[in-house]
Amino acid sequence: MTKFTDHLWSDLAREHGAALANADRPEPGRAPLLRRPRVLAGSTLGLAGAGTALALTLGASSTPAFAVTTSGDGSVLVTINQTTALPQANAKLTAMGIHEQVTIYMASGAAAVSGPVTCTPAPGVSGPPVKVLVGTNGTQVISSGNTGAGTWHLGACHLTGDSGSGNTGNTGAG
Amino acid sequence: MSTEARALTRQDRPVAARARSRGRPPSSPLEEFEQVYLRNVDVLMGYFARRCRDPHTVADLTSETFVRAMDGFARFDPRRGSDRAWLFGIAAHVFARHCEQSAGGRDAVARLGGHRTLGMDEIEELAERIDAEREGAALMQRCARLPSVERAAIELVDLDGLSPKEAAQALGVSGVAFRKRLSRARSRLRKEHESND
Repeated sequence: MTKFTDHLWSDLAREHGAALANADRPEPGRAPLLRRPRVLAGSTLGLAGAGTALALTLGASSTPAFAVTTSGDGSVLVTINQTTALPQANAKLTAMGIHEQVTIYMASGAAAVSGPVTCTPAPGVSGPPVKVLVGTNGTQVISSGNTGAGTWHLGACHLTGDSGSGNTGNTGAG
Repeated sequence: MSTEARALTRQDRPVAARARSRGRPPSSPLEEFEQVYLRNVDVLMGYFARRCRDPHTVADLTSETFVRAMDGFARFDPRRGSDRAWLFGIAAHVFARHCEQSAGGRDAVARLGGHRTLGMDEIEELAERIDAEREGAALMQRCARLPSVERAAIELVDLDGLSPKEAAQALGVSGVAFRKRLSRARSRLRKEHESND
């Protein structure tokens, strides 16, 4: 250390050290499951119903899994095992030349009806019908200890265009 | 012993003793921050020394960066990114603020925290550091025609020694976007160099 850096540290410790001495620091170990919003780029997750708009940021504790398949009638089925896989599923839609992006709203509790949910396109959005299936039967269970722990089902699903009109995936995006 | 008293005693430890503590896990947030400081203070001084010719300005911008870092250290989570990337993000903000205030005709340095009177030996050290950064500053001059985002990419990786991942974190962009930016910047520089030969 030079004299300058040594003196600077002494000043920092003297003037600001007391405030830091008892600060809560993150525990060592793996990063918490709560991710910054940008991790969810391409999706907005919220709770539908009762006017609640609580953002859900779900941890990606393992590789997100998804599948995008087209059926004979031209409709598209997006299957996601974890809601965190939605950005990849949206990217896949784009790669397949489908100019629609899926936005899902999760609601608490198990799905009343097992199976995929048909997405509602935003005005001006055209393309094949898109359905979304969360998990194997429409219900996702997040175990305790993880962010968003509980039982969730897909409450609503919307489609936006894949450029401009959709959400950016960031909380508070303007 | 009160918290404040502990902090005051702590800072009186000789440098050699603090340097020895680098080899073991920190026992307090203050000691953890000290290790962050020791790892990064030199490279951050270099960052400012390439931008400023005045030792006092280099000193104040370096100080301000660490004052802000110390204030925000409780929220810094090393599992989400390196301390160097985090500090460079702060440094960029501090320098931008300095430029804004300088452009506004105000005494930017006096408005920033952490200012104190420097001893002659400290001024000489900082002046030497500014000299030592001349090559880096010259490279930055050659980058002057690059877009600012590409210039920042070159500087953080090629001069400050950050990994592309750290530099991306410092600039708040994705790793993919940053690597493209860096590749584009290097390509432009190469072409410019070839056209000058």
